[in-house]
Amino acid sequence: MATLLVFKEKLKSFYSKYEAYLVPVLKFAAAFVSLLIINKKLGYMAQLNSTAIVLIVSLLCSFLPLNIIIVMGAAFSLGHVYSLSWECVVVLLVLYLLLFLLYFRFSPKDTIAVLLTPVCFALKIPVVMPLSMGLVGSPASVVSVGCGVIVYYVLNFINRNAPAINSLDADGSLVRFRYFLDGILHDRAMIVAVAAFAVTVIVVYIIRRMPVDHCWTIAMITGALMSMVILMFGDLKYHTNISIMGTIVGSAAAVGIVKVLQFFVFNVDYSRTEHIQFEDDEYYYYVKAVPKMSVTIPDKTVTKLDTRKPVQHGESASSIHTAVSDSVSHKTSSAGASSRTASAAAHTPARSSGMQTKPAAKSTLSSYREQQTKGSHAQSGVERLRERNEK
Amino acid sequence: MLNEERIIMMTRMAAYESGEGKKNGAIGSYFRGDYIGLQVLKSIISATIAYFLVCGMYLLYHFETLLDGIYEMDLWGLARRAATAYIITVVVYALISYVIYSYKYGKAKKKQKAYMNRLRQLSQLYQLESKNKQS
Repeated sequence: MATLLVFKEKLKSFYSKYEAYLVPVLKFAAAFVSLLIINKKLGYMAQLNSTAIVLIVSLLCSFLPLNIIIVMGAAFSLGHVYSLSWECVVVLLVLYLLLFLLYFRFSPKDTIAVLLTPVCFALKIPVVMPLSMGLVGSPASVVSVGCGVIVYYVLNFINRNAPAINSLDADGSLVRFRYFLDGILHDRAMIVAVAAFAVTVIVVYIIRRMPVDHCWTIAMITGALMSMVILMFGDLKYHTNISIMGTIVGSAAAVGIVKVLQFFVFNVDYSRTEHIQFEDDEYYYYVKAVPKMSVTIPDKTVTKLDTRKPVQHGESASSIHTAVSDSVSHKTSSAGASSRTASAAAHTPARSSGMQTKPAAKSTLSSYREQQTKGSHAQSGVERLRERNEK
Repeated sequence: MLNEERIIMMTRMAAYESGEGKKNGAIGSYFRGDYIGLQVLKSIISATIAYFLVCGMYLLYHFETLLDGIYEMDLWGLARRAATAYIITVVVYALISYVIYSYKYGKAKKKQKAYMNRLRQLSQLYQLESKNKQS
């Protein structure tokens, strides 16, 4: 756990250090993945399927506000559907306008849920959205998750029924329009999913707010079970044809993903919970203080030990003891000070040594031997100091 | 000498100013009635557009039926029902908007007040520091 916390702290410091670069990169990744999924699911317009277009639009999104990704996603889906039939475009456009006019005026921050919910559906982990919105959002998140579910099912309906819509060409626009609208309004799977996710968001939100230890974990597990039960009940009652195994595996994976989210958003140490009680003139206060888990990143300092510096005659013996023990040099300030002066002095002959002739080199060798013997004396001196300190 | 307490306060204030403070400042520049009135008006316009979009969809969906029975249809009654539905939609939506924007205004004002208090504390800290320097 400590390693994970250190990793989290490192990640936080890394993020704060490179935030200016990371935010555009993350936006780019979000836009790129979303547009690729839209292209894969719909993909009726050849021009929009081009990777170059997706890359350019994603790059554009990385420098613009987050909500532009949603606008681009909507534009891409409309473009693809336009290639299929204009009646579908009308319905989809009206749906997007209604979402924008009636809901996203109030909470523009939640618009990202509309984009992420279909993405999670495409990745087979749709339960991630109600769980995470229940944990980090508010009860109003029900609407944004619901809108995301509706958008996904509408796009899914278009994807599944594209051949049927094309075959209705001869019957005229109104027939196609009616077929499309009927398909959406009577999609029971969509209604069951909206109901399941709405209940999940509310249940998770209520449990998360309860003054119970491990409420986040309890909330996410209960929420996942709740959504599974409602989806299966809906399947039994309305024959929505959901994959039971897929729902179970997807819910389990969603709990795992949301657990990671919890680690980054809400990480507390229940073992150090404190219950405090005090009073003033009007109230009694029962306070429960749960400390956050945090660790300090261990500082790694690299000390260069250079023992092979040439030393002149008459130089202080303590020049070598810097290489022997750093801690001792800190403890004994006089020795430390002399070591600094000595090491500074040691550079002068080193620079001049390059110009020396062979006899001079001989004298350097003898001074080195001398230094070795002085070093041993210095070491013994250091040991003596250490012993004295220990005493 | 650096005053840690002052630096922490200034950092928090700067973070608020650059983020939420901008939005709250804009909200706070209105009187309560003006702000809520303006937002409710915008909501009424939104609801009107949304209503006509839904009506358009309804008309398209029942286009053939309407064309076939237009002469036998009670057009006055239909118009009355449509107007009633419109009024209900707009009133309900305006009420919801009123509640939401009242809450938003109250919250923004509260935060602005806290910010002003901090500003006052900061100026006191500066005064205290200057006094200490003089003495």
